[in-house]
Amino acid sequence: MLLPKFEFHEPGTIKEALELKKKWSSTARFLAGGTDLLVHLKKKIITTDHIISLQKIEALSQIRDNKDSVEIGACATMAKISGTPVIKEKFSALKSGVDNLGTHLIRNRATIGGNVTNASPAGDSLPALLIYKAVVLLESLDGKREIPIEEFFKGPGKTDMKVDEILTGFRLPTPPAHSGAHYIQLGKRKSSEINVVNVASFLEFDPKTKKILNTRIALGSVAATPIRALKAEALLKDKIAEEASFYKAGEIARTEDCKPIDDFRGSAAYRRAMVGVLTKRTLATAFELAGK
Amino acid sequence: MKKIINLTINQLAYETAVEPNKTLADLLRYDLKLTGTKKGCDTGDCGACTVIMNGDPVNSCLVLAVQANGSQIETVEGLSTDEGIHPIQNAFVEKGAIQCGYCTPGMIMSTKSLLDKNSNPSEQEIREGISGNLCRCTGYTKIFEAIESLRS
Amino acid sequence: MKEYDVISTRANRIDTPDKATGRAVFVDDISRPGMLYGALLQSPHAHAKIISIDTSAAEKLKGVKAVITSKDAGDIKYGVSPARYDETVFAIDKVRYVGDEIAAVAAESLDIALAAVELIKVEYEILPAVFTIEDAMKDDAPLLHEGSPKNLCAEVHQEFGNVEEGLKNSDIVITTKMKNKRQDGAFIEMQGCIAEFDNLGVLTLTSSTQVPHYVQRTVAMVLGMDVGKVRVIKPYVGAGFGIKASANPMELACCFLAKKTRKPVKMNYTRDQVFMLARARHQFSHTITTGAKKDGTLMAIKHECWLDGGAYTSFGIATVYYTGSLLGGPYKLDNMSYDGYRVYNNKPACGAQRGHGAVIARACFEQQLDMIAEKIGMDPLQLRIKNMMETGDTTCNDLNMSSFGMSECIEAVRKGSDWDKKKGHMPKGKGIGMACGFFVSGAGYPIYRSDTWHGTVIVKLTEDGGTALVYTASAEIGQGSDTAFAMIAAETLGIPLENIRLASGDTDMGVDLGAYSSRQTLMTGHATKDAAEHAKKQVLEVLAEQLKVPVESMDIRKGFIEFKGKAPDFSELRTRYIKEHRGWIDNPKSEKLTFREASRIAFLEKGSIVGTGKYKPHLLGGKFKGAAVGTSPAYGCSAQVAEVTVDMETGQVTIDKITDAHDCGKAINLTSVEGQMQGSVSMGIGETMHEEVIFDKQGRVLNHDLAEYKIVTSMDMPMVEAIVVESAEPNGPYGAKEVGEGAIMPTIPAILNAVYDAAGVRLYELPLTPERVYHAIQEYKEKNNIK
Repeated sequence: MLLPKFEFHEPGTIKEALELKKKWSSTARFLAGGTDLLVHLKKKIITTDHIISLQKIEALSQIRDNKDSVEIGACATMAKISGTPVIKEKFSALKSGVDNLGTHLIRNRATIGGNVTNASPAGDSLPALLIYKAVVLLESLDGKREIPIEEFFKGPGKTDMKVDEILTGFRLPTPPAHSGAHYIQLGKRKSSEINVVNVASFLEFDPKTKKILNTRIALGSVAATPIRALKAEALLKDKIAEEASFYKAGEIARTEDCKPIDDFRGSAAYRRAMVGVLTKRTLATAFELAGK
Repeated sequence: MKKIINLTINQLAYETAVEPNKTLADLLRYDLKLTGTKKGCDTGDCGACTVIMNGDPVNSCLVLAVQANGSQIETVEGLSTDEGIHPIQNAFVEKGAIQCGYCTPGMIMSTKSLLDKNSNPSEQEIREGISGNLCRCTGYTKIFEAIESLRS
Repeated sequence: MKEYDVISTRANRIDTPDKATGRAVFVDDISRPGMLYGALLQSPHAHAKIISIDTSAAEKLKGVKAVITSKDAGDIKYGVSPARYDETVFAIDKVRYVGDEIAAVAAESLDIALAAVELIKVEYEILPAVFTIEDAMKDDAPLLHEGSPKNLCAEVHQEFGNVEEGLKNSDIVITTKMKNKRQDGAFIEMQGCIAEFDNLGVLTLTSSTQVPHYVQRTVAMVLGMDVGKVRVIKPYVGAGFGIKASANPMELACCFLAKKTRKPVKMNYTRDQVFMLARARHQFSHTITTGAKKDGTLMAIKHECWLDGGAYTSFGIATVYYTGSLLGGPYKLDNMSYDGYRVYNNKPACGAQRGHGAVIARACFEQQLDMIAEKIGMDPLQLRIKNMMETGDTTCNDLNMSSFGMSECIEAVRKGSDWDKKKGHMPKGKGIGMACGFFVSGAGYPIYRSDTWHGTVIVKLTEDGGTALVYTASAEIGQGSDTAFAMIAAETLGIPLENIRLASGDTDMGVDLGAYSSRQTLMTGHATKDAAEHAKKQVLEVLAEQLKVPVESMDIRKGFIEFKGKAPDFSELRTRYIKEHRGWIDNPKSEKLTFREASRIAFLEKGSIVGTGKYKPHLLGGKFKGAAVGTSPAYGCSAQVAEVTVDMETGQVTIDKITDAHDCGKAINLTSVEGQMQGSVSMGIGETMHEEVIFDKQGRVLNHDLAEYKIVTSMDMPMVEAIVVESAEPNGPYGAKEVGEGAIMPTIPAILNAVYDAAGVRLYELPLTPERVYHAIQEYKEKNNIK
């Protein structure tokens, strides 16, 4: 399979990248890990005249621990994120998400920025970013812009990023004490899978009362974008953290929060049912981790 | 327009001019005649084109040759030395881990990277370490055995 | 038991050092001076009349050397079975599936060739298309082929014994249906080829094929050439599993392009073209009724099957027969009927894949055995033993089990899996199941009607006497056949394996029908043994003359001549040999006469020592229509136990362990036999769990890559315990028979039976996606009022 012809640009700074993007506008595409972009070009799903590689811009692939938050550069690879101590220790659901993306080979190239800008409803890192309240960091020649990740997704393959903008990274506030999070993805096999349903849950509780203080549940592959299960979250507020509550939350997420469709990977009915099961299970594990 | 790139492949320095739309896999196979690296899909699904790039195994069909400018590349051809074939290659031969052999170069490069980073991988780590390399012939069993035999 | 020196060991394969180091050459690794690149124009429509084809713009593109259509390639029909040749290289009047070939281009580079393909203008008149058996059989359905009313490609009706009577005399009668999904071979090397003509008009086609011989004959026929002027070379091949077991349209187009341009032309399929060509396992829809007595005795099988064939016949005739015939065993059964139908439609053609025709029938039937066992309260393993055929038995459809280690296989998996402790004692959500199966060791007859030898082999001793060259046209495609034949040659000649050099996969080396129907070990193995014996005899005859001892008093073992009784004085021969070797450093010092010396002396006396060998099966099978399909000189058989965990909330099935025992007659190479068993199991697991080619409403494959067509990964593969059983097959070389396909037979039903044991649900449709299992569990819960 051949790639179409294009011009290749390899800027060294974000500013240079933005200047190139401004010049070539929608005829240019940013290349991060390439694990989706090059496949889509080969399959003629998309076209481009200019490729602006971001790999030489070091700032984009850094992961910085600011103690109260962590900043992940858009071009950090899944493998790098997975291996970063602060991610392993404090953002286990994100680690689990990036560990499930593609294969060990893909994860050495694929970047979190690429996964997010692709905006697949099934994207592996997205539910975790949602439950960790990630802030999307964008930049254009006119300045910087930050928006909550939930507002970033506009539909399958569509985001809020403007044609002259670049995604520089994400800021995730460090989760509080007595909190935990978990991610489960469900597919047909155990590697290289495109999810049928994927769910991440975050839970913070009061160790004295066992009451749930805060919870966030994100559902993937059951709507046009990854979504929060807001009704299930509302139900859990101030409830005792226990199996029965998690089950009820799952039921609400299943019946009220998700709006899945049928496609060749799975039916809406099954996806809906699995939202219930995975919500319950991710909450239970999140609670277990929160207690540790 | 072609670009001049410099890269090191199996410890040899190369300078070559490439079209921007040429993948690293095609550069290796068709320009440099390093045909040990195979292509089974061209879309990053099978792992037959696995090479080690700057220490990490990657699908060379999803890397542009121009992106490999300045990189250190290891391919299956680089493993054997004057002393003979590499212990990983030998283990694959001895344990019967090779049937049609088409996934083998990629499988061996993933194995090398796995063992370079972890000389004593668990069964699960072995499975994960080759999870991007599809094999349709062996059922992986003898590949696991070959890698297990190399634990330190 | 006879002791062997070479076979029956775990010798390293002769091809794997090159494969491990990247030196093994596959077709796309080859380039030829001045080579052009070819590309195909394939139909975007599932069914359409071709009104016109305009190639002028493509021809004008700089770098284009040839554009060909049916005008160049003609209208000669080809296919797999001569009685059903229904394909032409390029579509003439109409296209019948998305992917049907219309034209081809050769150009200086691949991107020029692809650009030229885009410039070919085809005017189509879209015809209504059908994609299912039901739609294709409707009265008003569009017909794909003239002369095939109702789009019926083939039908088979057979009855052995009296099924009605058998069912009437049964205490238990069970009817179930079973349906799989269309498979893809998913070999990792996509098909490719290079065709070139020399100045004398000889065509050499180098191709990724399982069957150089059949490709040679097809190419010769379609191009109108003498078979002797066509040479097909198979380099190393990245597996085939049946899909590469016939000539493909790309190979033929490539030959025409080479003919027109007088230059070498290379062509490759991309992965999505592999899916478009298809030719893999059919989708089968079975309905089977089985009757048994209260004591478990099997009485009768009534079997109906519909095969979703696709646009052309390909292997379909053989498939539809195999589907019926291979249900005749491995159990004693007097009454069996079969009605099989293969239906055309506007999807890519299906063909043969590992376990040809028989896999889903077995999946259906072996579940019924478990149902019968449950009804009568018998251990399903015991039920199978009770009904098992024995060595020497013949099935009701005339298949003879000349060796049959089936009971040994069952006992081996019973012990290996700890069946007696586990069956009936697994916790909820965990289950154990078993199944059996058998398969041919080579089709009893060639694909075309002929008295041809199925394999010929040449063993030539080098003039220095040290090495034996083995030449065979057989096809090493990963299964280890080259090594098996080298080992058989070494064993037969009585020399070490390292003194064999083997070359294969070239039609210039003889006739060999190739790698399909699990035939090579038995058939090519026989021819190899025959050739080696012939060469050995010639050496010993010279020795007999020189040493004045009878031939019968000598043998060769481990590279030395063995004499019965006292060895004669061979000092004269040794002196003669050493004189020949003046200046060499490896003069023999052993007390025994070496093979090298004997072979050199033989060369000096007689010139090149060439042993020739050949094989074809004895007359096999019954007299009824279709009796040939399913016949074989021998049958391999196997038993498997699967252990699974079912997640009762999500429907996810995890296979924890497979215990597999296979009777291969005699393991020429133990490691290779285990490798075939483990590989078969992995393909069986893929088909059971997640493989499925999916089409959209226009007949286009939706999941035409290895991300969405899901074969087993290293993360999914369970532990497989492979137990090799041997039974000394009288019709096999050194007692050897098949392992390549039979080993897949029990995998699917063993897993299905284990899932039933774990979850209480029977599944009659594959694959076992979490969703399908989930719905089955929900249905079960509703029916049984379980919360």
